[in-house]
Amino acid sequence: MSDHPWQDYAAPYALGALTAEDRSAFEAHLAGCDTCRTEVRAFSEVAGLLAHGAPAVEPPPTLRARVLAEARRVRPIVSQRRGAPVAWLAAAAGLLLAVGTGVEAWRLTGRVRALESALAHSDSTRAAAESTLVALTGPEVHVVSLAATGRAPTARVFWNHAKARFIVLAFDLPAARPGRTYQLWAIANGKAPMSMGTFNTNAQGRAYAVLPVDAQITSLGFVDNCGLTEEPAGGSPQPTEIPRLLGAWHHSD
Amino acid sequence: MRTQPNAPSPDRQLVGRMAGGEDRALGELFDRYGKTLYALALAIVREPADAEEVVVDAFGQAWRSAASFDPARGSVGAWLATIARSRALDLVRARGRRAKVHERAALLSDGGVATPLAAPGIDPGRGAEQSEARLLVGRALGALPEPQRVAIELAYFEGLTQSEIAERLAEPLGTIKTRMRAGMEKLRGLLGPLLEGAS
Repeated sequence: MSDHPWQDYAAPYALGALTAEDRSAFEAHLAGCDTCRTEVRAFSEVAGLLAHGAPAVEPPPTLRARVLAEARRVRPIVSQRRGAPVAWLAAAAGLLLAVGTGVEAWRLTGRVRALESALAHSDSTRAAAESTLVALTGPEVHVVSLAATGRAPTARVFWNHAKARFIVLAFDLPAARPGRTYQLWAIANGKAPMSMGTFNTNAQGRAYAVLPVDAQITSLGFVDNCGLTEEPAGGSPQPTEIPRLLGAWHHSD
Repeated sequence: MRTQPNAPSPDRQLVGRMAGGEDRALGELFDRYGKTLYALALAIVREPADAEEVVVDAFGQAWRSAASFDPARGSVGAWLATIARSRALDLVRARGRRAKVHERAALLSDGGVATPLAAPGIDPGRGAEQSEARLLVGRALGALPEPQRVAIELAYFEGLTQSEIAERLAEPLGTIKTRMRAGMEKLRGLLGPLLEGAS
């Protein structure tokens, strides 16, 4: 790809070293360029290996137990692809279609292609997958469950795409300290978190809040996770702590 | 580059079992990558307590999102490294440690003050596979011309953009871009054996 005008972008992109502007432009280009997607994948693997370049150091012996203890508090998001790959692909495509295209639209393109090839493989699965697709794109509602990483609090956030609203329900979450507020974050992998808005719980540790969905969040395209932090009143432009609650978005079906 | 799309690697099988809620699989994944991720986190956040937090967090995220792992987008190792690196950089940014990062960048720009991050050959290691990767990556980084290695390390371990690196090192942006690309191309060639084996 020596004559390719974007040839210089794949390596710094994989290293996360492009400016926000260049990154957006390149991602838009990636949507339609197999060559660059292949390059990005190759350089991302190289970047992944750089982790081995850190100075060797033995982790504390208690770390493994901490990792496992943490995991036992939180159930993994239920897999939807086990045993039903075509339905899963349809679900993925439906999810992305419902969210709409964005800077990571190329990922959508890839999945839709995968879906198409899977569908072409068998006419009988095609009908089932299509009906799943129709069912999933209908209600246009996503849901994320935020599980406790430490104590017992939980939260559930519904994203109503049709009405552009987040509906937030929180339980057993002690009210934020005086002068502080809870803030939710839309987290797309590889991008800075975006504020979804602020809310607080009552004396019983409960909250019900309806927050408008900012167009910037919609433009992210695919939002991987949702996180909750405590911030100074009025909220912060970026989170100032590791999320207290975190969950991966998944479909409501 | 992927070897056998229909024969999931041991890593991918572990992630599949994690998606099914099997925490023993998470333990096995930790045995394979815990040390690497801890070293990576420590290289970025610089404080052992913070590095532990990053690793717990990163494996937590991998556990929760195992079902959405997409092998078409890369290997399990690259996925984990991406999660841990971005968690670590977030922590550094959130805690306003940019000053430290800049200090280190200044050291690097003075030339040769900072030792290479990679120190091949001194790590007996627990997993032979990971030790081999460490050795190869250390050698590959060592084989790069210093300016190329510095540009790549500032991006990867400090989270700086090309423009920020140019500013730190007081070099033209075009020079940094060229070095970074040349260095990454060279690494890609040198690390070929590991890349083919990863999936």
